[in-house]
Amino acid sequence: MSSRRNFNPWAFILPGAIAGGVVLGVPVVQALWTSLHRLRLYRLHDQVFVGLENYGRLLQDPLFHLSIRSTVVFTVGCTVLSVLAGLMVAAIMSTRGIRGTVMARFFMAFYLVPFVTTQVVVGMLGRLYVWEPEYGLVNYLLNLIAVDGPAWLISRDTAMLATVITNSWRLAPLAILIFYAALATVPEELIESAEVDGAGGLRTFTAIKLPLIRYHIGFVTLIQLTSAFREFDTVFALTGGGPGRATNVLSLLVYNEGISAANLGMANAIAFTMLIIVGILSLVYMRLARLDKVGD
Amino acid sequence: MTEVAGRWGERSGLAVRYLFLIIWLLVSVLPVVVLVMASLKDTALFQSIPQVLSLTGFTLENYERSFRQGNYLFFLRNSMIISFSALFVVLVTCVPMAYGITKLISARARGTLVFMVLSTRFLPYVVLALPMYLFFARIGLSGTLVGVVLAHLAMQMPFIVWLMLGFFAGIPREVEEAAVIDGCSPFEVFWRINIPMVLPGLNAAAILAFIISYNEFLFAFFLAGYNAQPLTVGITRFIGGADVGAQYGVIAAYGSLIILPIILFALVVNRYIVSGLTQGAVKG
Repeated sequence: MSSRRNFNPWAFILPGAIAGGVVLGVPVVQALWTSLHRLRLYRLHDQVFVGLENYGRLLQDPLFHLSIRSTVVFTVGCTVLSVLAGLMVAAIMSTRGIRGTVMARFFMAFYLVPFVTTQVVVGMLGRLYVWEPEYGLVNYLLNLIAVDGPAWLISRDTAMLATVITNSWRLAPLAILIFYAALATVPEELIESAEVDGAGGLRTFTAIKLPLIRYHIGFVTLIQLTSAFREFDTVFALTGGGPGRATNVLSLLVYNEGISAANLGMANAIAFTMLIIVGILSLVYMRLARLDKVGD
Repeated sequence: MTEVAGRWGERSGLAVRYLFLIIWLLVSVLPVVVLVMASLKDTALFQSIPQVLSLTGFTLENYERSFRQGNYLFFLRNSMIISFSALFVVLVTCVPMAYGITKLISARARGTLVFMVLSTRFLPYVVLALPMYLFFARIGLSGTLVGVVLAHLAMQMPFIVWLMLGFFAGIPREVEEAAVIDGCSPFEVFWRINIPMVLPGLNAAAILAFIISYNEFLFAFFLAGYNAQPLTVGITRFIGGADVGAQYGVIAAYGSLIILPIILFALVVNRYIVSGLTQGAVKG
């Protein structure tokens, strides 16, 4: 096209691409490079190449295994809980008589509150006012129905559950919002014809609406998986990885190993392992959903 | 008969649904309400939930101490410097980049770039924060605001480029071609034609970027020296400090001072947050 001969899109792309290459590329390469060395935090000049030794030691480290387990439980727990909660709330918000009303807008505005609440404050708030065994909100409510609540964050058996619920609280709004918007695209005629055929609300939802928004469910699942997988702030402020190591997810292990234990080589090996895990996760997903077509 | 029953069923169903939505509303906001109410009470010790939520015994002492001992304004200043600088850097690099990508003629090049943006979107943040700590120590940026802002650019870039890709893709090609025929330069086409048309999307991206930066803790925790620390790091220092000890009311006040401004802001600009978060995820 002759009118476009002066226009080169790369002039717009390059500044961002270079900046991105530096701020994203350099750390990733640095992580890989450092993971192949023995390097202590306060002796940065003393770097010894050790090849894959850090990875080898990592694979045999029981703390790493424990962290992997915590991370899987935490990540899957948060994803399942937030996606289910999101589906449920969005489904009810989308029913006739509620969708599109002033009340729906009012509810949605406040449903977003957890999403914008600072994670470290969520963690502290959780520790001091929600999960606190004697005076906390949860055990107070449980007491009202004559249930003696556990010592949530102090007990090894319940700390992970409380941590998962806390983080899901923060993740759920995104799921609600996307599912609510997705459900709006389901043609009204489809729902009506299902109802004419005698399908109830629940049946219409599972048989008609759910299959139509399956792409969005997959997309939200991926977002929640990856954001729970990399979560640091909330867990750090809520439990600090404890009690013992019950909630010591990989992000926190990187911090323990790199900053607290000053073992940068090992910490970077853990970090790079996380990168590989998340890379595989999103590659598999993108193959399945052709997500890279979004934005075309 | 069946019609009446049906309508009654529908109406009682509506009440049940509203009840559910109200319970979820409480789940969403009650923890925050408890924190704010606790911050307004004289709580050297814990109080029970009814005491915290009661409408008596208000005091502003916890807030006074947050300002005085907790150095709130100092950390707020750092938070604002970080959030606004990050926002500026992010917009200046990401918006033209997204625009350029949508204008690439080669579908292959476009696909590759979109793929790269997308695949970096899910990077675990510690993978960036830890090596950055090392890298900045080597090039003399360790502890500085510049380092934190660069880290925020890394954190935001994939999300914001992806968001803007969707908004730019929604602009009809004809509008732009008319401008080119009228003799506009490529930059004018971008600045005078496209930017005004994506303004709502741009607002959404800017608001989300600001909120994410304001709330961010990990990068600041790893990278910021004392003089560069934002509120999120400030509160953890404050709580760790021996002088405050177990004074929960002060912690509640400090926490409220961090979250209330951003929650109020989010409620005001709710419309943009909704459009930003649903963009790309939902088409049609």
